[in-house]
Amino acid sequence: MAKVFLNGQPVEHAHEVHEHISPMSTYNAVIGALFVLTGLTFAVSFADLGPASLTVAMLVAFIKASLVVAYFMHLKYDDKYHLFVFLGTIIFVGIFFGFTMFDMKSRDALNDEQETFVRWKEQENAGKGLAVGVDNVPERRAKVLAEIEAHGGGHGGGHGGGEHKAEAKAEHKAAAH
Amino acid sequence: MSNEHAHAPAHDDDEHNPHLAHHFDTMGQQTASAKLGMWLFLATEILMFSGLFLAYFILRMLYPEMVLEAHEHLSKWAGGINTVVLLTSSYTMALGVRSIQLGDVKKLRLMLVLTILCGCIFMVVKYFEYSAKFEHGMLPGKYYSAHLHGYEIDGLPHIFFGVYFMMTGLHGIHVAIGLAIMLWMFVRAGRGEFGAKNYVAIENTGLYWHLVDLIWIFLFPLLYLVK
Repeated sequence: MAKVFLNGQPVEHAHEVHEHISPMSTYNAVIGALFVLTGLTFAVSFADLGPASLTVAMLVAFIKASLVVAYFMHLKYDDKYHLFVFLGTIIFVGIFFGFTMFDMKSRDALNDEQETFVRWKEQENAGKGLAVGVDNVPERRAKVLAEIEAHGGGHGGGHGGGEHKAEAKAEHKAAAH
Repeated sequence: MSNEHAHAPAHDDDEHNPHLAHHFDTMGQQTASAKLGMWLFLATEILMFSGLFLAYFILRMLYPEMVLEAHEHLSKWAGGINTVVLLTSSYTMALGVRSIQLGDVKKLRLMLVLTILCGCIFMVVKYFEYSAKFEHGMLPGKYYSAHLHGYEIDGLPHIFFGVYFMMTGLHGIHVAIGLAIMLWMFVRAGRGEFGAKNYVAIENTGLYWHLVDLIWIFLFPLLYLVK
């Protein structure tokens, strides 16, 4: 039998399948912790934490994700090369996020200087608001309105003034085109 | 050459294992290769979803009030139930892998059924959520018509719902594919294809399913909860 290499290292007992078998207590503890943390995020979402809420929610999500990766996906006991692949991915996601957000945040000054998004700015300055969804496609808009009419008016949710105000605003927007 | 053989009587076991593909020397090597392949696939999955997460963060940065207002239209309870369901399914899947590590095929099949059941509950809840959104015209891009239905959301809500449907939709497709794979594994387990020394297909199915769970762990607070 030829010598077996794995990830550049010679494997000593290549015929064996090395797998760590976690005890039931580990899985039970992990799922318990995951439920508790889910409850925590849920509870926190009702409290008014202001800008800190995103940080708290992401922190809890990271802890939950780490538990799943380490114990359910066995990365804690697995070949360290898999951990390297996983963390490598996270680093690239970090670069992707970091550079893009940096670009987005420093873009306003550039946009003003180079007058990009002129149509968007003009509309906003004229107080016309932004064309939303079906407003951009008159035929589809007419079709949706006809459907609403056929069903006896809109659902008129309590959100932001209901049907009439929405209708008036929509007409206003359509006229602006 | 003959000397080497004398040192390795245990290799006989591998050479007779019907599940060892001819291009691998040992079961250990075969298992490690399959798992490395799976982790590389999961890396591409994470990178794919990261683009959508980034779209969400940019939208949130540009229109914070709009995102907050629009997310009020998502059901916290539906999202919460789905989180618990998906975490439970991850737990049963992990127990399934543990069962086959111990050579218990019967328990593995039971755990696969439980996992599939949880996945189906997830999809049913998702169906009701989507139906409500369709009915209220809260659709992506040029299909958005919630303002005609009497729901006013300032800013560009049609882009928020575009991001919402892309993220939860792509995640939902992953759940559906996961269900199909687990059904396949259930059938294969029934044929006696898996044992304590040959279960890497089950383990990889588990890894995929846990990743689906992992993505939901981030989707849930970002879309449904965050203030």
